[in-house]
Amino acid sequence: MTRIVEVPASFDDRTFDQFAQGFGDWPPEERILVDARAATWASPYGLIGMLSAGQALREAHREKPLFTVPASDDVRRYWARTGFFRHAADLFEIHGKVPKVATSEEADHLLDVTPVGASEDVHQVVGRIQERAARMLSHELGLEAKATMGFAMALSEACQNIVEHAGTSGWVAVHLYNFRKRLGRRVIVIAVSDAGLGFRRSLEATQAKRFGDRWGDAAALEAALIQGVSRFRDPGRGQGLAGIKRYLSRWDGKISIRSGTARLSIVPKWDDDVPLAEHLPYFPGSQVQVLIPAQEGGAR
Amino acid sequence: MIQTIPLGRVLQETVSTPYRDLVTRPTGAAVRGWIQKAIAGSTAPTTMLDFTEVGLLDFSCADEIVAKLLLDADPDTDHYVMLLGTREDHTEAIDHVLNHHALAIAVVMGPDEPPQLLGRVTPELVRVFHCVFRLGPGDAGSIADMLGWTLERAADALLTLSLLRLLRAEAGTFHPLTQ
Repeated sequence: MTRIVEVPASFDDRTFDQFAQGFGDWPPEERILVDARAATWASPYGLIGMLSAGQALREAHREKPLFTVPASDDVRRYWARTGFFRHAADLFEIHGKVPKVATSEEADHLLDVTPVGASEDVHQVVGRIQERAARMLSHELGLEAKATMGFAMALSEACQNIVEHAGTSGWVAVHLYNFRKRLGRRVIVIAVSDAGLGFRRSLEATQAKRFGDRWGDAAALEAALIQGVSRFRDPGRGQGLAGIKRYLSRWDGKISIRSGTARLSIVPKWDDDVPLAEHLPYFPGSQVQVLIPAQEGGAR
Repeated sequence: MIQTIPLGRVLQETVSTPYRDLVTRPTGAAVRGWIQKAIAGSTAPTTMLDFTEVGLLDFSCADEIVAKLLLDADPDTDHYVMLLGTREDHTEAIDHVLNHHALAIAVVMGPDEPPQLLGRVTPELVRVFHCVFRLGPGDAGSIADMLGWTLERAADALLTLSLLRLLRAEAGTFHPLTQ
C-alpha cells in the first residue's frame, strides 16, 4: 500500500498543515508518495519541510518514500536552483526529470537549502551569508546597516536550536520574496526545520510537572518562546530565542515555531496570523520561520 | 599591569574555521577555556578581552565567553576583566546576556574616555564609576563630597561596584581597573 501526500500548489507556512495531514498517524505504516506534480510554488519553509518529512521517515525506519517532481518546468528549475533536489535525492526515490542546474547565484536566494547538524555548520552558514545579507537587507529591504549583524545573529541562534535540541540534523534556507498579498512588501525569510525531538519531548523532563494538565506541544512552545525556558539547567540557556525576539521587535518581524501539533507565533501588526494554533496535524521535529519585512518605502 | 587577549586570534587557535565570527556555545566554551588558562598563567590583575578582529558575536557565544567567565571567577582571587574594541552589535549581545545574569563589565572606549558599562548597572552606579575614573583612586568620603551625597550612599555604591568587579577595592580605597 502506498499513501499519497499531496504537496499544496502554493506551499508555505499557511498550507503546511495540509501537507502534514497527508501523513495521517505518525509514523505512517504505508509507503509514502510525496506528490509535488501540482506544485506551482514553495517557500523555503515548504522546501525544507519536505526534506524533514523524508528524514523523519528514514529515522522511523520506514521504506524510502517516493517523490514525484513538479510538472512545471519552471518550478522544477527553481527548486533545483535552491539545492532542494540535491538533498531530496538522498531521502526520496525521485520520479520525474530533475533539471541539472547550478544551485544558488539567484538574486533572491540568500542561502540555499543547507544541512545543519553541528556547530561547524552554523559557522559556515553565518560566515557565508553576511556579505550578501548586508547587501540584501539594505538594498532590497531598506534596513539600516546595523540590521545585518542582528540578522546573522538571529540566523545563528535559529540554527543552533537544531544542534542543541533536535537530537538530529536539519536544514536551513533563507530567501527573499514578495509578500504581495499579506503585506505588499518584500520580506526576507529564514526557515529552519528538523525532524528531531520537538519542543515537547525536549522540555518534558524539566517542565511537564510545572505545567501539569496543560502540558503538551503548545505549553512547551510557550515555555521556550515566551518564558525563555531551556532543557538545560544552565541559567544562561534560553537566550537565543529571546535574542531573536528582540531583533524582530526592532524590525517589525515575525517568528513562528511549529512543533508536534501546535504552532506559536509572535505576530506583528501587519500580519493576521493567530498567535497560537493547537490540535494541528502532527508533524515531527520543529519548524521555525523568521520573517523580516522591508521597511515602509524601502522595498524595491 | 594589564594582559590583553586578542579574541580573533584565540578563535583561530581554538576552532578550525576560516571565519572571524564568535558563534555557537561550543565555540564560546572553547574560547573561554583558552582565556581561563591565560588568566591562570598570568600575574596581571586585569585582563582585557580585545574584540577588534571579531566579526559577529551571537548571544550564545557572548554568554559562554563573557557571562560565564565572570560567573566562574573565583571570588577569592584579585582578578578583573574588561573589554576592548567592541562594536555596537557586540556590546548589544554582551549587554543582553549580562543583564540576564545580573552581571556587569566595563568596556574601554578610547584614550581619556570613561569606560562604558554593560549589563545590570543603575544610573547611580554609572555616575560613581565615572567619578572614580575621572578622579582616580578614592574612598567613600571623596566620592560623597564630589557628588554631594551622604557617606552611606557613596559607600554603598562603591561596594556594589567592587562586588561587580568594576572597581578594585584596597583597604577602603577604590581604584579604576585601568590603573
